[in-house]
Amino acid sequence: MSRPGQTENQTENAPEKSPQTGHFDADTIRRGAIACLPLLPSTIIFGAVLGVLSAQRGLSLSELLFMSLAVFAGSAQFVSVDLWRETIPSATIIIATAVINMRYVLIGASLRPVFRGRPLWVKVSGMHMVADENWAVTMTQKDLANPGFLLGGGIFLGVVWATGNTVGYLLGGGIPDPEVYALDFAFTAVFAALTIGMWKGRVDLLPWIAAAIGSIIGHFVLPGTWSILAGAGAGVLVAALTWREDMDADSLEAECAVEGREAYGAPEGITDATPVTETGK
Amino acid sequence: MTQFPDLTSFSLEAVLTILGMAAVTYGMRLGGLLMADRLPQHGRWAHVLERLPGAVLISVWVPSALSAGAIGIAGAAATVITMAVARNLFAAMAVGMVLVGVGRYFIGN
Repeated sequence: MSRPGQTENQTENAPEKSPQTGHFDADTIRRGAIACLPLLPSTIIFGAVLGVLSAQRGLSLSELLFMSLAVFAGSAQFVSVDLWRETIPSATIIIATAVINMRYVLIGASLRPVFRGRPLWVKVSGMHMVADENWAVTMTQKDLANPGFLLGGGIFLGVVWATGNTVGYLLGGGIPDPEVYALDFAFTAVFAALTIGMWKGRVDLLPWIAAAIGSIIGHFVLPGTWSILAGAGAGVLVAALTWREDMDADSLEAECAVEGREAYGAPEGITDATPVTETGK
Repeated sequence: MTQFPDLTSFSLEAVLTILGMAAVTYGMRLGGLLMADRLPQHGRWAHVLERLPGAVLISVWVPSALSAGAIGIAGAAATVITMAVARNLFAAMAVGMVLVGVGRYFIGN
């Protein structure tokens, strides 16, 4: 468990543009699975809690496992199972699932660099096992462009999740309360920690502040998981508004210009627009 | 030995509901990616897309830290600081979770 999840130096294979690794290499899949290892205890406990709830609500174990592997989205499953009755309110459940999982549109969109240059079948087969956790772990990898890493984490989480479901369903109770061991906080903690790894430079500052404020406001005024969309929407809006011609995301010069403001004196964007006297401050 | 439940028991209604849930979820996952593929690779949209994962991630955990109360906010702050200093996911998670667990034990929520 204590082995470091991230390898620091992945730069020996210099060309980053075209994918030089296979689509789903066994080794990459394994690395992706190992990277999700810290999530094992909380995933299994929450899977078990869902199993207990499912048994109470009258789902069969096979239906629960089918749901866990076909839908593969924890929070939507909790709400759906909670709504489950003898006469299943199908429309309500499907609409609730759609609303809760709407963030996956954004998560899918943000995975573009991971699937860059890959054929359609890789996208079609790689996008199913995408949970918040393996997505976040994948996005913070240095050599990010790899669908196998994402899939490895997804398979690992899926197996653990389904195992937890089965254990909870069969025990029908007696699962330790996740709150006692702060296991419910593991998800908050992993996302908070991984945010650090997503920092790309000062251009992130304002969009991130906007996302935090938007999600906090959403948390207090909107129901359920709408706060995620409120925060992401605020972040996107501010990112769009703060974009300038000279900070093209793909150009290395822009990144250096942002990172190296202090090191190189005046930022390039200002020198040609302002008189020389300004640069002295 | 307790008997293992029958793994072939499916009701049609349940299967259709689950398929509906799966279709909307997968549709949004793949749809998001395919839509992003159609956006330009440079300029404003690419810049926005680069900021998107951080914005989504923050919006996932900030409200859940708030829901966990003062100890949750403290735990999240401790996690972020540990990660920024130590750059170790496991250590950062451990610090946050131990703080929250101990805090709940002694203080309650």
